[in-house]
Amino acid sequence: MRDPYEVLGVERSASLDDIRTTYRKLAKKLHPDLNPGNKKAEEQFKEVSSAYDLLSDPEKRARFDRGEIDATGAERPRQRFYRDFADTDHAYADASGFEDFAAGDDIIAEILRRQAQARANAPGADLHFRLAVDFLDAVNGATLRLTVPNSETLEVKIPPGVEDGQVLRLRGKGAPGRGTGKPGDALVEIAVNPHRFFTREGDDIHLELPITLTEAVLGGEVPVPTPTGTVMMRVPKNSNAGATLRLRGKGVHRASGGHGDELVRLKVMLPPGPDPELETFVSGWVTGRAHDPRRGMQP
Amino acid sequence: MTTISRHEFLLRARLDQATLEAWVTEEWLIPGGSAGAPAFTDADLARAALIHDLKHDLAVNDAGIGVILGLIDQVHGLRRTLADLLREARERGRAPE
Repeated sequence: MRDPYEVLGVERSASLDDIRTTYRKLAKKLHPDLNPGNKKAEEQFKEVSSAYDLLSDPEKRARFDRGEIDATGAERPRQRFYRDFADTDHAYADASGFEDFAAGDDIIAEILRRQAQARANAPGADLHFRLAVDFLDAVNGATLRLTVPNSETLEVKIPPGVEDGQVLRLRGKGAPGRGTGKPGDALVEIAVNPHRFFTREGDDIHLELPITLTEAVLGGEVPVPTPTGTVMMRVPKNSNAGATLRLRGKGVHRASGGHGDELVRLKVMLPPGPDPELETFVSGWVTGRAHDPRRGMQP
Repeated sequence: MTTISRHEFLLRARLDQATLEAWVTEEWLIPGGSAGAPAFTDADLARAALIHDLKHDLAVNDAGIGVILGLIDQVHGLRRTLADLLREARERGRAPE
C-alpha cells in the first residue's frame, strides 16, 4: 500500500478541498466504468479511492498522520462494476452505435442482424421461489398455490414423496421471453414443515406410539395414525417399551414404485398420578422384583 | 440472472425509497417485474453504484448522469459488436476489408 498523499499527489498540508478536487480529477480519469476494457484503470482507481477514503475523513487522516493506522486502514469493499455486465443482456443494452454501418450486405450488417435477432428473441430468465409444504402434503402429494412477486398465482403440483430441499421446475412459468424467445422456468425449492408426531427417514415414516400398561402386557388391537389415515395394529402379548413394529407399505411413495414402511416404536405410559391398586400389586409381585433388566450393563 | 426484491436492493445499494423512485423516474434504473413488485438484477445493483459514484464522487449533475449512462451503454454495445466482428474475422481467417 503506497502512501495516500503520494497516491493522490497532494502535499501533506493539503486542505480537504484540495484533496477533494484532486480526487475528483483522478476519479474522472480512472473510474472503471468510464474505462471499460482498461484493466489498469481499476487497480489505480481502487488505490486512489482508498487513499481518498482515508484522507477525506479528518479523524482517520489525523490517526494516519500520527502513525496510528496504516494506509490500508480504510479500504472499502467494492461490489462489481457496471462494466462487468457489459456483455450480459440487460435492460440498458444499446447497440445503436453501429447502425449507420449496417446498410450494405456486408459482415457488419450480418453481425448486427444476428445480434438484434438474439436480443429481440432473448429467452426469459428463470425465477427462484421457496415453498413451505406441510409434512403430510409432502408425503401424499398435493396441489398448492404459490403467489409470485408479479402478483400472479402459480399452481404447484407436489409429487408424493417430495423431499425437503428438492427443487421443482415449472417449465415456462419464469419471466417471459422477448419476441419468439421462450419464457424461463420457475424453480421452486421445497421446504417441508415438521410434523407433530411423524418423522421421516428416507422412504420410512417413524412414529412413537404411546400404549397402556394393559396393552403392553395383554396385547390387543390399537389404532395407529399413518399418513393416509388411521389403521388398526395388533400389539402382541408381552410387548416391551421400545419395541418397534413395522406397518408394511404405510411409508412414503417411492419414485421407483411402491412405498416405504411405517415403523411404530412402542412407548408404555402409566396412568397419570399414583395408583394404589397398581402399587399394591407391584409390591407383591415376586417375578418383578427378581428381574434385573440392567444385567450385562457393567462397564 | 437471479432477481433481487426492492427491499434487498435498497439495502444492498444503500439507497432510500425516495431516491430509488427518483432514479427509476429518470430511467437511470429500469427494473423488471411489475410496478408494484419490481425485480432488480446484479446489473442494476452495479449501475446504482455507478450512479452513486457519478453523483457523489465525481460531482456530476443530474442532467449529466443521464447523458453519461447513455454513452456508457453505447460504448458497451460498440465493444460487444466489435468483439463479435473480430471473432467473425478470425473465423474467416482474414482481417475485415
